[in-house]
Amino acid sequence: MNLHATPQMTAAEQALVDTYGQLFSDLPGDTAVVVRRDEAVEALKSGLPTRRVEAWHYTDLRRLLSAVPAFDPALQAKEQPALVSGATVLPVLSGRATSVPRVDGVAIQRVFDRLSDGSIAPQLFDGDAVDAIGAINTAFVGDGYALDIAEGAEIAKPIEVQNLHEGGQAHVRFAARAGRNSRATIVERQTGAGEALVSAVSHITVEDGADLTWIILQEQPDEATFLGQTNIEIGADAKLTLFFMNAGGRLVRQEVKVAVAGEGSEFVLRGVNLLAGETHCDVTMVLDHEAANTVSTEVIRNVVTDKAKGVFQGQIRVARDAQKTDAKMACNTLLLTDEGEFSAKPELEIFADDVACGHGATVTEIDQGHLFYLMARGIDEKTARGLLVRAFLAEVIEDLDNEALVEALEEKLTAWFATHG
Amino acid sequence: MPAVQETIEQVRNIDVDQYKYGFETLIETDKAPKGLNEDIIRLISAKKDEPEWMLEWRLEAFRRWKTMSEPTWARVSYPEIDFQDIHYYAAPKSTAGPTSLDEVDPELLRTYEKLGIPLKEQEILAGVRKQGEPSELDAIDGNGGRKVAVDAVFDSVSVVTTFKKELAAAGVIFCSISEAIREHPDLVRKYLGTVVPTSDNYYATLNTAVFTDGSFVYVPKGVRCPMELSTYFRINEKNTGQFERTLIIAEEGAYVSYLEGCTAPQRDENQLHAAVVELIALDDAEIKYSTVQNWYPGDKDGKGGIYNFVTKRGDCRGRNSKISWTQVETGSAITWKYPSCILRGDNSQGEFYSIAVSNGHQQIDSGTKMLHLGKNTVSRIISKGISAGKSNNTYRGQVSVHRKATNARNFTNCDSLLIGNDCGAHTVPYIEAKNATAKLEHEATTSKISEDQLFYVMQRGIPEEEAIALIVNGFVKEVIQELPMEFAVEAQKLIGISLEGSVG
Repeated sequence: MNLHATPQMTAAEQALVDTYGQLFSDLPGDTAVVVRRDEAVEALKSGLPTRRVEAWHYTDLRRLLSAVPAFDPALQAKEQPALVSGATVLPVLSGRATSVPRVDGVAIQRVFDRLSDGSIAPQLFDGDAVDAIGAINTAFVGDGYALDIAEGAEIAKPIEVQNLHEGGQAHVRFAARAGRNSRATIVERQTGAGEALVSAVSHITVEDGADLTWIILQEQPDEATFLGQTNIEIGADAKLTLFFMNAGGRLVRQEVKVAVAGEGSEFVLRGVNLLAGETHCDVTMVLDHEAANTVSTEVIRNVVTDKAKGVFQGQIRVARDAQKTDAKMACNTLLLTDEGEFSAKPELEIFADDVACGHGATVTEIDQGHLFYLMARGIDEKTARGLLVRAFLAEVIEDLDNEALVEALEEKLTAWFATHG
Repeated sequence: MPAVQETIEQVRNIDVDQYKYGFETLIETDKAPKGLNEDIIRLISAKKDEPEWMLEWRLEAFRRWKTMSEPTWARVSYPEIDFQDIHYYAAPKSTAGPTSLDEVDPELLRTYEKLGIPLKEQEILAGVRKQGEPSELDAIDGNGGRKVAVDAVFDSVSVVTTFKKELAAAGVIFCSISEAIREHPDLVRKYLGTVVPTSDNYYATLNTAVFTDGSFVYVPKGVRCPMELSTYFRINEKNTGQFERTLIIAEEGAYVSYLEGCTAPQRDENQLHAAVVELIALDDAEIKYSTVQNWYPGDKDGKGGIYNFVTKRGDCRGRNSKISWTQVETGSAITWKYPSCILRGDNSQGEFYSIAVSNGHQQIDSGTKMLHLGKNTVSRIISKGISAGKSNNTYRGQVSVHRKATNARNFTNCDSLLIGNDCGAHTVPYIEAKNATAKLEHEATTSKISEDQLFYVMQRGIPEEEAIALIVNGFVKEVIQELPMEFAVEAQKLIGISLEGSVG
C-alpha cells in the first residue's frame, strides 16, 4: 500500500491486523471472499498510505489514523427515522442488517448472504495498492444491503439505507443495480455516537436508460473516523445524480469513483462539505469518461471554520474514444478562519481531442460587497454572514429536483448552523 | 507580422523530423572522460580555477546526490538514464578568454549564423554592424537601436560576452558564472544556493556538483539595466550533459530583463540537460526572465532529443519586489520544468506566462509554484498548452498560501488545445489555502480548435494549415505579449514550425 516499505507498523496498523486475527472466524464468507480478505490484510500489513502516495497527498492516513477503537459486540445502535417521511428504511445497526422489508420492484438481499455465498467477492479489494478504504472494508465487512431494481421499475418513494453505530467499529457495504429504464432515489445515512472507525463501500450500477438519484448524508460524531467509497458505473443513455453532504466526523475520506461507460450517459455530482472543529475531510473523485457523447457536471461547495481542514481532489479522465465529452467541474470554498485550511487538486487528463472540458476552483472569504449590501439594509453582520454562507450552500442543494429531499437537507443545514454558525 | 510569410515557407518546406537547428559544429573540444566521481568534480573545479569553498560545495552536493533517487512523479516516461555514460565537461578549445570577435573560431560564428536567432545578437556577434548602427531588423520590430547583451554558452562554457563595458559603466555585472566565482566571490558566495538549496531535488543537486558554466547578473541598487541581457545555450558535443547555473541578483530598486534561448544539434541519442536558475529580487526590485526553448525534440519516431530537467526558482526576498517568468517551450523530448516564485517580501508579485507546444513524441510536464509567504502578495499564472502528434502535455502547478500571508491573491488560467486524436493534455493544479483572507481563483479548459473558428478563417480563402497557425497564435497571444519584442517574433515562428505535420 505504502510504496516505500515501512519497517514498523503503527499502533493503528497493528490494531487492524490484530483485530482481523481475532474476528476472522466469525466473519461471513466463502473461499473466494476469504482469499480477498487475506489479501486485504496483507496490504494493510505493508502500511497505510502516506502523503507520498499521490492519491493520498493531502490525507496522510498512516499519520492521521492514530488509533483504532476495538470492536464491541455489546453495543447496539437504534434505527433512526427516515430523512424523508414515507421512505423505506433498511437499517444496518452496529454492523448488522436487521430487517429485509419488501419493496415492489426491488429485490433486497443482505450482504451477509452475498458474502456467505461468495457472489459479492468480485467487488471486494482487488490488490489496488492505493485502495486503503477497500482493503479495510474488505477485511472486516460483515453485512449491508444489496438492492436490485427491476427493469422498467419506477420506485416512487425513496429507499433509505442506514449505517448506524454506537462506537467501536462498523464496516458495511451496499450494492445497487438499477435495471434498464428504471427510476429510483436512494438515501445513504452515515451516523452514530462515540469514538468509532466506520467504513462504507458502495457499488452502484446504472443500466442503460435508467435514472438513479443517490444521496449520501454523513453526520458522524466528532470522534469518529469515516472512510467512504462509492463506485459507480453508468450505462448508455443512463443518468446518475449523486449528492453528498459531509457534516461531521474527525477524519473523513469520501472517495467517489465513476465510470461514465455508456454512450450518451450523464453523471451529476453535487456536494456540500460543512467543516468545523478539528475535522479533516477529504473528498476524492476519479471520473472516467469512457464513451462518446457523455456529459458530467460536478459542483462542490465547502465551508471551513474553526481549525478544520478540507480537501477536494477531483480527477476527470477522458479516454481516447470518448469524443464529444462535455465535462465541467467546480469547487468553491469559503474559508472563514485563519486556523482552517483548504486544498484543492482539480485534475484533467484528456486523450480525446473533440471535447469541452473545464474546471474551476476558488478559495476565498465572504464577498465584502455582498456583506455591505446586506448590512446597508440594516441586517447585522452576524446574520448577514450567515445568510450569505447559507445561500452559497443552498444553491447546490436546490439543484436536486425532489422537493421533499431539498427541504430535508436544508433542515440539516439549519441544524448545522445552529451548532457551528 | 513580416515573419509570417517566412514561417509559412518553413512550415511548407520542412518535415516533422527535419530539425532546423540540427547541424553540428566541427570544432575541437576539450572533454573530460565519461562518468561521474569525485575526481571529475575536482577536474571541473580545477579547470575553472575555482576557490576551495566552491570545490567543497560541489563535493558535498555530489555526496548528497549519491543518496538521492530520481523523481518519478511527473507524467513523463523514458528509459533509465545512465549517469556514468555522460561527459560532464566539454569546452571548445579555442575559447581561452577571447577579448574581441576576431579571436573567435570562425566555425563558431558560422554556428550563430545558422542558428538565425536571436537575430540581432547574431548580427552583433558576427560583427556585421556595430553597436548603435541601424539594423534592417529594426524595420521589423519598430524598435530601432534597442540593445541586447549576449552571454553565449557553447557546450557549457561561456564564449563571448558582449557589451560588457557599457554594462560596467552602469555598475551591472554580467559575465559567466565561472568568471563571477573568480572575480566576485563574495557576491556569489552570499547568494549562490540560497534559492535552490543543494539538496533541493535530484537534478538540482547533480547540477550543483557538476555545473560547468552559466550566467551571472548583478544589478546594483537603484539601477535599471540599460539593455536586455541575453544568453544562448547550445548543446553541441556528443554525449555531453549540459549543466548550466545561472544566478541573477537585483538589488534594491533595480530592474533587469533577461532572455534565454536554447537549441541543440540533431542527435540520435538522448542528451541530458539539467540547469539551475536562481533569481533574487530585493526591496522594490524587478526581474523579468524570458525563455525560448527549442532543443532538439527527437525525430518522428521519438528517437533522440534532449531531456530537459531544469530547476528555476525566483525569490522575491524584498518588499514590493517582482519576478516574472515567461517561457515558450517548443523543443526537447522531455521537459520537466517548473519556474517558481517564493513570494517572501510583503507586497511582492510573481508571474508565470507559459506556452508549451508538444508534437511528435514529445513529453512536457511543466508549470509553476507560487508560494505566498508575505502579506499582500499577488501571483498570476497564464499557461497555454498545445498538444499535437503523439505527444503528452501536462501543466502541473502549485499555489500555496501560508498561515501568515494575509490578503494573498492568485489568478490561474490554464488552457489546453488538442490537435489530433493521438495526443494528451493534462492539468494538475494544487491549490492550498491556510489563510481566510486569501483569494484564489483557478480555471482550466481543454478543447480543440472550434470548427466555427476554422470555418470562418478558411472561408476567407486561407488554407487550413495557415488558418490553424492563425488561431493558435490567437490562443497564445496573452503570453506572446509578455515576451520582449525580439523573442515574440521568434516565438511565433517556432510555434508554427513545431506544429508542422500536425494537421490532416
